[in-house]
Amino acid sequence: MKTVIKTTDLSKVYTETAVPVHALKNVNIEFKEGEFTAIVGPSGSGKTTFLNVIGGLDKPTGGHVVIDGVDIATMKESKLFDFRMRHIGFVFQAYNLIPVLTAIENVSFIMLLQNRPKAEMENRAKEMLEQVGLSDKLDVRPSKLSGGQQQRVAVARALASKPDFVLADEPTANLDTESAFNLLDIMAKLNKEENITLIFSTHDHRVIERARRVITLVDGAVASDEHFERAER
Amino acid sequence: MKLILTLAWRNLWRKKRRTLISVSSVLFAVILAISLMSLIEGTREQMIESLISNTTGHLQVQDALYHDEPSMDHSLEYGEEVKRALEKYSGRIEYTVPRIQGFCLASKEMGSRGVYTMGIVPEKEEKMNGLVSRLTEGEMFSDDDNFAVIAEGVASLLELSVGDTIVLIGQGFQGVTAAGKYRVGGIVEFPLPEQNNTMVFLPLKEAQWFFAAPDRLSSLLLMTENENTAAETALKLMNELDEEWYAVKTWEELMPDAVAALEARDAQVKIFAWVLYIVAGFGIFGTIITMIHERLREFGILLSIGLKRAQLSVICMLETIFMSFLGVIGGIAIGYPLMLWFNKNPIQLKDDLADVMLDMGFEPVMPFSVAPDIFIYQGITIFIISLVIGLYPARKVFRLDMVSAARK
Repeated sequence: MKTVIKTTDLSKVYTETAVPVHALKNVNIEFKEGEFTAIVGPSGSGKTTFLNVIGGLDKPTGGHVVIDGVDIATMKESKLFDFRMRHIGFVFQAYNLIPVLTAIENVSFIMLLQNRPKAEMENRAKEMLEQVGLSDKLDVRPSKLSGGQQQRVAVARALASKPDFVLADEPTANLDTESAFNLLDIMAKLNKEENITLIFSTHDHRVIERARRVITLVDGAVASDEHFERAER
Repeated sequence: MKLILTLAWRNLWRKKRRTLISVSSVLFAVILAISLMSLIEGTREQMIESLISNTTGHLQVQDALYHDEPSMDHSLEYGEEVKRALEKYSGRIEYTVPRIQGFCLASKEMGSRGVYTMGIVPEKEEKMNGLVSRLTEGEMFSDDDNFAVIAEGVASLLELSVGDTIVLIGQGFQGVTAAGKYRVGGIVEFPLPEQNNTMVFLPLKEAQWFFAAPDRLSSLLLMTENENTAAETALKLMNELDEEWYAVKTWEELMPDAVAALEARDAQVKIFAWVLYIVAGFGIFGTIITMIHERLREFGILLSIGLKRAQLSVICMLETIFMSFLGVIGGIAIGYPLMLWFNKNPIQLKDDLADVMLDMGFEPVMPFSVAPDIFIYQGITIFIISLVIGLYPARKVFRLDMVSAARK
């Protein structure tokens, strides 16, 4: 399988505090195309920092992050914005939809920034909202949607532009059990159907139980990296 | 661009109260600026109008040498050439006020005093400066009378009353001695001491006879529609007149000291206006800072999911432009009828303040101007200030750490 992301000796040190904090310590991981990975670990173990760094939102203080053959650790910010938009999808814990846009406009947002043809964009946005079970909420703004529905829109937005991989930072943390399972079903289905690589940072055992690979971070270093065979649900 | 415009416009109405506060800060700044400038400009217009109507008129047709050496020998021959020029531009001239004047010695028995003797047409003076209504005693002469009306200060200094006789001695046209004895038929009172202590009026024909200058005038005053058209009318008239013999002077040329005083006042007003703009600017800046800090997380998220910093900056700038535009339009929409009302119903000054104004020859009111340029200029100025302030959010976006902003 094709390697989507490869980190080499990845480290991140926060120096703003009185005592420097080593959030990541020489992390070496490869993610293959189509993987469903959960990054787990206690609070402060570096899960979110790891996601931010491989997502190009934050710069590492050492090491490399190679995506599609390009090291984004040394990439200029202006190029990184464009790269991130074309290669990476994000799902956040707090949904983070754009409140003034409707569901379909939110899903189309990244494709709009990519200047995709209007018809293609609309069809893809509708298709994604249908996949996440919200085809009846196209013109509804986020404030009129439940938390679970908002997170499904966020997933549709992250996947609509067909990124190489999706980074999801605790996406189920704010959801009730039913909504969480529903969301995980949808993401697993899209992972399978669209062959999109999914990388979660999570504490949620419901996510961990669905992941085919679980990487445990402790104090910024990889403590374990396990692969599982999961039965189809 | 459509996406950016959509986001900017919808963001305005997402938190209506926040937008309302920002728009209100611009709106009140515009109303404040308009009100103050309307009052300052209204006062300026009143001062100019008062100066013009009480002294020089908008324009004066004179002999070419009179302005530099105002003597009877340089009086104006009010002949066909001047009348033809005035006829040609009669549409620009509301009315004319003929005057002949010269310095004289006024005497009564043992006392004497230097005075200005001015030959006038009472109806025209009344129209221009309300001279007849300044009468405190006696009556105003008509064109064919031959008595004098004197200012109250002259009457007081020479101890003259209505019915007494005043003797005038001066120099007439081409060296002729001007001498005459006139009954005092009326007394007028002026607020300005330099007028009140020096003016003696005669009917125009009588004064022309007195100065031995029949059909001649010291100057022919012209009242145009307003002071703004005076300079252009002066140029047009001069094109019709021989400049070797005639001159058409504007009120600004006739009163250089007053113009200098007005310019000094305008400079003070400019300083005052900038203080106002700075205060208003800080008011707007305060609301923008609050608004931006409320939205840092949202900015972080937008940047995280793919919006470029430049695009987000443009959105912030557009929001500021929309809010400023709404504030300016609202400010003008409220400010204009308000100023129009004060223009029609000026605030009346009372007691000592009113007396001071009257002493200076002004109506005791706070006049408000509704000149269109006040509204346009103030609107544009506040709009530009808002745009400059709008650069702050744009700058903030360019320096934003999106990870920490998105976590807020």
